[in-house]
This record gives sequence, C-alpha cells and structure tokens, in this order.
Amino acid sequence: MKKNSLINYLNKGSSYDEFFGDSLKIRKHAQKAINFLSPLSLDDLQDINSATISAIQSMGITFRVYQDESKTNDNRVWPLDFIPRLIKKDEWKLVEKGLIQRVKALNLFIEDCYNKKKFLNEFSIDESLVINTPAYKSYCKNIKLKHNVWSHICGSDLIKGEDGDFYVLEDNLRVPSGVSYMLENRMVMKRVLPELFNKYGVNPVDDYPSKLYETLASVSFSKSKHPEIVLLTPGIYNSAYFEHSYLAQQMGIDLVEGSDLEVGKDSYVYKKTIEGLKRVDVIYRRIDDDFLDPEVGNPDSTIGVRGLLKSWSQKKVAIINAPGCGIADDKAVYAYVPQMIDFYLEEKPILKNIQTYFMNNKEHREFVEKNIHSMVIKPVAESGGYGIVIGKDLKPKEVDPVFRKIRNNPRNFVAQPYISLSTSPTFSEGKIEPRHLDLRPFILSGSKNYVTVGGLTRVALKKGSSIVNSSQGGGSKDTWIID
Amino acid sequence: MLSRDAEHLYWLARYIERAENTGRLINVNVEMMLDYPIDDSLGWEPILEAMDSKKDYLNNHKYYEESNVIHYLSRERNNPNSIASCLHNASYNSEFIKDDLPRSAVEELNNIEMNFLKEMTASVSKRKRAKNIYEVISSSQRFFGIISDNFSRGYAFEFLRLGRFVERADMITRIIDSICTTEKKEGTIDLSTLEWVNLLKTLSAHQAFRKVSKGEIEKDSVINFLFKDDSFPRSIYRCLTIIHKSFLNLPKNNDALVFIQKFLTNLNSARIGKYDNTKIHSFVDLTQKKISSIDQIIQKSYFNN
Repeated sequence: MKKNSLINYLNKGSSYDEFFGDSLKIRKHAQKAINFLSPLSLDDLQDINSATISAIQSMGITFRVYQDESKTNDNRVWPLDFIPRLIKKDEWKLVEKGLIQRVKALNLFIEDCYNKKKFLNEFSIDESLVINTPAYKSYCKNIKLKHNVWSHICGSDLIKGEDGDFYVLEDNLRVPSGVSYMLENRMVMKRVLPELFNKYGVNPVDDYPSKLYETLASVSFSKSKHPEIVLLTPGIYNSAYFEHSYLAQQMGIDLVEGSDLEVGKDSYVYKKTIEGLKRVDVIYRRIDDDFLDPEVGNPDSTIGVRGLLKSWSQKKVAIINAPGCGIADDKAVYAYVPQMIDFYLEEKPILKNIQTYFMNNKEHREFVEKNIHSMVIKPVAESGGYGIVIGKDLKPKEVDPVFRKIRNNPRNFVAQPYISLSTSPTFSEGKIEPRHLDLRPFILSGSKNYVTVGGLTRVALKKGSSIVNSSQGGGSKDTWIID
Repeated sequence: MLSRDAEHLYWLARYIERAENTGRLINVNVEMMLDYPIDDSLGWEPILEAMDSKKDYLNNHKYYEESNVIHYLSRERNNPNSIASCLHNASYNSEFIKDDLPRSAVEELNNIEMNFLKEMTASVSKRKRAKNIYEVISSSQRFFGIISDNFSRGYAFEFLRLGRFVERADMITRIIDSICTTEKKEGTIDLSTLEWVNLLKTLSAHQAFRKVSKGEIEKDSVINFLFKDDSFPRSIYRCLTIIHKSFLNLPKNNDALVFIQKFLTNLNSARIGKYDNTKIHSFVDLTQKKISSIDQIIQKSYFNN
C-alpha cells in the first residue's frame, strides 16, 4: 500500500472512514483520489489550498456570522476543503428514494395535523407534541394545499454511522439554507482540481435552480403559464443573504423585501415596480413564520407584509414553504417518522432513523440517565447545533444539573444514542487528516419530486470535533456522486 | 423592475459620481492654491460653500486650513458628502443589487473603497494624497466604463445613467457657483483667468473648451460653454440631453420629458454670457432647483408607489 506521508491516518478511532477501511485498506472508490493526492508534496497541497481560497474570494462567496448592524468586514470567506467527499451512485440512488419517501410522509403528516388528525388519534399521541407548540399555527386549520405539500424545500441532515450506513439526523422543513454553497463549491472545484474531475465521472449538480423554479411554479394558483415568482428576504444583514441573492439571480426572479410587497384591496399580493403594481403568484420566503405578517405573527415585524397570511389562506398567493410547516420540524416528532411512512404510504422506511428517547416518558428518562455516557441530549426546538449535550463529555458533577434542567421541562428534550460521525481525509494545518462530516441534501416537492445530486457536505475542521456548523468553525466539501 | 432596485441603482451611480466630482474639486483646488503666493486658506471657503457644507464644517473647525478641509472633504465620515461617505453609501446600495451588475464592476467598486480607506491615513503625504484621490477618479471612470461596455441596455442601465447625470449636472452648477460667490465677496476685483481655467480643469473641460474657443479664456465664453455646449458631456445642456434620452427608454415618462424639454429651451435662450455675477448666481440657483425637480420626478414616478 503506497501512502503519502502527509496522510496522517494513525488514529482512526471507531468512526467509519469514507476513504480507508479496516487496517487502513483503501476503499476501492477512493483509490483514484488517493493516487492523485499521494505524490503531492506539502507545497503542492498548500498551492491547491491557496488557489481554492483565492477562487472563493474572487467569486465573492461569503457568509455572515452575526446579524450585525455595523457592516464592516463581518462577511467571512466561505471555508471549503479541496478534497472531495465521495459517494457511490448506487448507494446514493437508494438514499434519494429514502428521502423522497420520508418527505412525502412528513408532508402528509403536516396536512393531517391541520385537518383530521388521523395519525395523532391512531397512535394516541399527546397534543403537547404537535398542537400545543409554538410551531403550530391555528390559522392553518382546515387548509389543504396543492399536491398536499407544505414543505416544498426540505434540507435533511444525514450522517454515516460506525456501520457505514446513512442515518437521518433531522429534517429541516422550515427555511433550510446551504444549497447555494453546494452549487458554488462545485464551481470552485472545477477551477481548482480539474485533473481529479477527469478521473471520476462526477454527476453534475447545477440543475438545482431550474428544478427549484419548476417546483415554485408548480404550486401557483394562477392559471398563467409564467407565474410571477419572487424570493422574499429579510434583507442584506441576514446570515443567508448571499444565498437569497444567488438563488434569485440564478432563477431570474426578483429578490424582494417585505416593503416591496403589498396586499391589495382584492387580497392579492402585489410588488412595487417602476411600472406600477404587479401581481405576485408565488412567494419563496426566507423569513420565519412569525415575521411573515405583522397582523398575525409578531406585530413588530418590519420585514413582513401586512395581510399576507389572509391572502395565502384565500389561495390568492402561494407561500413556500407553507406557513405552519414547522410542526414536523421537531426532534420529538422525528421519532415517529418510521410510523408515518407506514401509516400514510404503507411502505417500509428506506432510511434509518436514530432511536429517540422522550424525556417526558419516565421509563425512557431513567434509561437515559443510566446510560448517559453513550447518549446525546437535544433540545427539541433548537437548530444549528445549539444546546446539545454530549454525554461522554460530561464530568461526573455536571450530570445532575443536566437532568434537573430536563425534569423542569421534559417535553423540551429528547435523547439519542451517541453516533460517531464518519470521517473523510481533510486538509487541515498542513496535513491530511480524518475529520468528521455530515451531509445536507435538499428535497424538492411540488408536482414532481427532486433530490439534489449529493448535497452540502459539512466538515468539522477541528480535530476530533463533531460540530460542523459554519458559524462554529465548520467547513465544507464538494460532494461527488460517482459512477 | 422593482422600484427599490431602481432606487438603489440610481443612488449607487449618484454616490460614485459624487465621490469622483468631490475628488476633482479637491485636486484642482490644491493645485490652484499653489499659484497663490499668500494665505492659502481663503480659497477653501467657497468650495465648502458650494458643497453646502460650510456650516457643518464650522461646527468643528475655526479656520479653513487646507489639511483640515481636505480631511473633511475626503475622509470625514461625519460629513455625509465626503469621498469616504460617498464610497460607503455606494457600496451599501450595491449590496442590494450586486447580482444585477457585471461582476467586474462590483469588484471595481469593492476595490475603490478598500484602497481609499487603507491609503488615506491622517498622516498621508500631500503627494500621496493627490494620488489617492486620482485613484478614486479613475476607479469611478473604470466602473462606468465597465457598465457602458459590459452591461445590457435596459431599465437597470437607464437608472444608473440617470443617477450619474443628475448628480453631474448638480455638481457643475455648484462648481460654477463656487467661483461666482467668491467674486461677490471680494466685490470689485474681476475674476482672474486663473480661476476660470481651474473651473474648466475641475470638469476636465479645458481641452474641449480650447477646441471650440480660441484665444484668451474669458468668463462669458466659459459660462456659455459649461451651460450650453451641446456636445461636451460635462456641460449642463449635454447632461440634460442624456437624461432626456434615458427617460425615453423608461415607462411613465411623460412628466419628465415635458419638463426637460422646457428646461432645455429655457437654457438655450438664456443669454448667460452677458450676466453679471449676481445674476449668474441666481440663474445657477434656478438651475439647481430645476435639477432637483428632475430628481423629484424620478422619485415620484418610479420609487414611491
């Protein structure tokens, strides 16, 4: 086995590595990548790395960490590791099917919760799980949507466990972001590593914007062949503004702020153009539910549009993702997804769910308390990796306070067995070393379904860390689905 | 096109043009001061006055020392019209419409602000200072060069052009005024040729003027040229014709076209060359009001609805 001395794979641990198997045997599909990397010197690697950084800079790919009013230098350069993440096509095809199945069931679940509540009754699920949550919007009651879809754009987070299988970690059904970085990562990689591209048949990713456009157009209530679609952004200080402006430009639609729209006397939504008011059929919103309409949600919202939700409930405008779809975006609801797939689709789940323990269930809680060192505790309604407690990192005296907090509000927490994220070779601090990663594919649902080819791979750049969020020191990789 | 996008484009162009013009004003005045043997501070008062900044300046300063005035006009962020503020406002406006502009134009824009702020420190030498300001001027020209070369003609282009030429027309009147008011104060002395030459230089009009007017440079021919020449792009007449052309390509243009048509006719028939300075001053005032009416028509027709 010929191995670059720079590849430092001495300590692989129990995680599944995507390039190297047991006793550092190179996995077959990774062979060409290893052959390419092995002869490179440290200087070569540094060269590729700086070429990557300068390509990102000149393409202006940035992300914003804080919503900061002082707009000086708070835009950071997007971190991309130039070693691609490899996934075999036949493996991916199955994941794709599993994701479509999953999101279909979740969408049916959302519509059911706002209508007959068949699932909740069938499984005698307590109302506190869905109905009595902030995510539940009473104005959605009795509403049915075109194609029965509420979350038209879903970003599900996948991880590979120790067994090398994909697991779904969570489904982001509200306003998931990151897809523009997936697209831009590919553009950068084509500039930086064309040689390696040639060695693999890398499946293209760039039809996402046109598929997104199709999805948006397919939910329009208007009869027009070319519905008027806009992307609604909170504005330039939002952390995902780069993505909003990128997607609007790629789809050729207007990027609007709340103040650019108004609801007319006829309850239709109009945008303010230099030619006057122009009717809008579909709004791809990147604003949270509560800020969409000051009449219904947060009365102080300046980024929303007065009367928007009334217009929506009268089916005069389509809003994507639909308001109220966050009820299924909850780590406690997550536990029921396999049952949903069975209940609504009468199918067996294709993708694995992680065993989830409810902290408001006494038996579950006692089990978790006993096995805390192999558990992860998660607040149900947080995202971005905030508030997660990893049991094995707790010092003995820290355990009690954690459970005291849980007992105060058990509905707010779930626990799952700790799963070590898979690793892949990553260039960091002048070496190629294993780093943990996850994957966020995006699933589109409208008249048709579509899954991105791969997705955004996020990688924890710090040695041993499992925190992949870019706001907390995470980086990214281009994800290659290979023949 | 969204009204808000149109507004951002319009102001983006205005601020870049304003930064450029302020830069021109500073550099030419610095050169002119070198020809004055005596106290050089006197020459800066009319400049501040022309920029409507005199009062604000005097809030924090007692005298018109060159270095203070230049700092105020170029770097002072509390002065909303300083070069630094203009560049900042330009890049703020560009944030919203970045993806509508050619990438190279946006890069140019990012570079102007970054380089200017980096180089223009408090302790910068006079020579370097002039160079930095020239850099802003040529960056602005590169920016508009890219726009006219690499940008499809359409609404977005017209709003950039409107912003640029409304701003320019306004600035020309201010620069002319700065000379007229100086003379008014000193009362009896006639303006020296020097100042008129400088006026032309500020507007990069010296060469163009020389082509149409030979011999000694005199006030009436300069004033006539700057107001009424129909081919030089830094004459008020020419700016208005360009603005008129832009409106022709925009919807809801009736009010604007009628107004500008009348404006042009009046301008053409006015015998400005014969006016004394007081009369020039009031004519400039009137012209400024009309230019700001054009701005209001733009706001009303396209931005506020």
